[in-house]
Amino acid sequence: MKIENTQSQMRKGILEYCILSILKNGEAYPSDIIEKLKKAKMIVVEGTLYPLLTRLKNAGLLQYRWEESSAGPPRKYYSITEKGNTFLLELDSTWKDLAKAVRLTTKTKKDE
Amino acid sequence: MNKTVNINLAEMVFHINEDAFEILNNYLNTLKNHFKNEESGDEILKDIEGRIAELFTGRLDKKEAISLTDINEVITIMGDPSQYDDEIEQEQSQEYQHKDEDLRKGKRRKVFRDEEDRMIGGVCSGLANYFDISVFWSRIIFIGMLFLIGPGAPFLYLMFWIALPSAKTTAEKLEMKGEKVNINNIEKNIKDELNIVENKILDFDKKYTKEIFGANSFFRKIVDFCIRVITGIFKFIGSCFGIFCILFGGILLFLIFSFVFSGAEILFQNHPMVEHVYSNFFNNKSATWFSLFIGIPMVAIILFGLRLVNNTKIHMNYKIGIFVLWIISLFFLLNSAKDISIEFQEEAKNTIIENIITESDTLYLSMNDVDRVFDNAFDANGFKVTPFEDNLMGIGMQLDIVKSKNDNFNLIKEVIARGKNKQIAKERTEEVGFEFLLEDDNLIFDDFFTISTQKWRMQELDLTLEIPVGMVIFLDHSLEDLIYDIKNVHNMWDYDMLRHYWKMEKEGLSCISCED
Repeated sequence: MKIENTQSQMRKGILEYCILSILKNGEAYPSDIIEKLKKAKMIVVEGTLYPLLTRLKNAGLLQYRWEESSAGPPRKYYSITEKGNTFLLELDSTWKDLAKAVRLTTKTKKDE
Repeated sequence: MNKTVNINLAEMVFHINEDAFEILNNYLNTLKNHFKNEESGDEILKDIEGRIAELFTGRLDKKEAISLTDINEVITIMGDPSQYDDEIEQEQSQEYQHKDEDLRKGKRRKVFRDEEDRMIGGVCSGLANYFDISVFWSRIIFIGMLFLIGPGAPFLYLMFWIALPSAKTTAEKLEMKGEKVNINNIEKNIKDELNIVENKILDFDKKYTKEIFGANSFFRKIVDFCIRVITGIFKFIGSCFGIFCILFGGILLFLIFSFVFSGAEILFQNHPMVEHVYSNFFNNKSATWFSLFIGIPMVAIILFGLRLVNNTKIHMNYKIGIFVLWIISLFFLLNSAKDISIEFQEEAKNTIIENIITESDTLYLSMNDVDRVFDNAFDANGFKVTPFEDNLMGIGMQLDIVKSKNDNFNLIKEVIARGKNKQIAKERTEEVGFEFLLEDDNLIFDDFFTISTQKWRMQELDLTLEIPVGMVIFLDHSLEDLIYDIKNVHNMWDYDMLRHYWKMEKEGLSCISCED
């Protein structure tokens, strides 16, 4: 069992949650999202984001519109859909449950 | 020299060195291969190509062609497909869609108590979720009801507490924005709740001896419940107090701002006397500092209230920033106040004696009787000062009548004024003037004194009239407000002395027209 596998398993679901949470506050263009995720050390390489955005969009959780850019090809501006918001709401509570579960199970005897 | 290749990436044309092209081509092929099983693999690839094109554009500011270094750096940024962590099981998202559809179709919609965001039992936040409003408002409404229907409100709350189940599972939490409360629901929920209690009592009976003090015993739960109710009551009082703080702070803040932005002109800048104290004090800048000085504590009260009601927390940095701003405003205000107080530091006194020469042995004393409006006057030590023509005028002086040390009528004027130092204060006393008119045997005092300067520095004036022994004066009724505590042999009050003739004897003033 490789530690990298477990780590990436852990990161996977959380990454979607993070993306939705970022977009909750308004529309953004992938570079903005990348910057936030990089700052939070959630992703290392940008290529990770594009397949995720496309999948979230295909699931109807995100939508996008095109905008002309002065520095390169047109950009996709992503925003969260109503469905995405509902999804995020559930993820919020799941996250709370998980965080609680982790806190409770990782507690050592001494802490109790 | 390098050979370059033209490529079209996301509808943009780039010149690229041949060796670099090879690497890019390989990279894109690897990606294509990686996403070939993906439903929207082409789209993902296009997005990535778009991003690469964008990165290239950023690198072509100062040169024409993409080099090998550029490619390697871009690939480092975009990453190798093996780093993408993206094998997400399809089933998961399908499951999601089911749940989502259920919710949309409204198969099961309910009102829950939201125990995650509760003050007492989470009723308000549950209802807020249901009506899709902020929990803040539902709590305000509840407290409003407390004032409207009094003890009915807690009872109603208790009913809801019993009637509504708490949202425990994720699904339930999602369903919180659900269907309307109807009788069936409440009835069912009460039944459920009663069943639970019943079961617990049965349990309690059974396990009475074993688990009375155990972690999950009924007894323990009752204690927990009591603690929860008590903390709930405290939280409730806290949020009442919080709402009070918000209202109180909000109203005061509103008043301050309307005062500073509209009323300040009337109350400060256009107050006729303010410019006579310190013309630079109440300018716009000081008004800003003043409003910050008063406003910041109000904001703090509101934030405190919000914290009590909604647990809204403010970042420490903001707190420190606001506090520093407040200290600065305090400093500026104190500085302005100091500038003013310096102007009033020293006091000086000046005495002027004027002889009143008259042939007659009887002097008729009176005062110009003018009704003066002294709105917007400064009032200090019994003296009122207000703008008059280009300068200032004051009222409030008092007249005493004593025995003259020589054979003349003398009017003694005692003037007091203040200033930065003794010298300036002394000069100020000389700016104070008081006039009277002598016509035959009529002595008519002005009803005011003049200050021939723009500056109000607590100028005061007191008058003493000296009467030689054997002379007679008549006190006209117009002197009512002027004379003060005049000694006489009959020990009569000032008011009773009016309208009478008084002769100065060796013992003092004696009435010659009074009936005993």
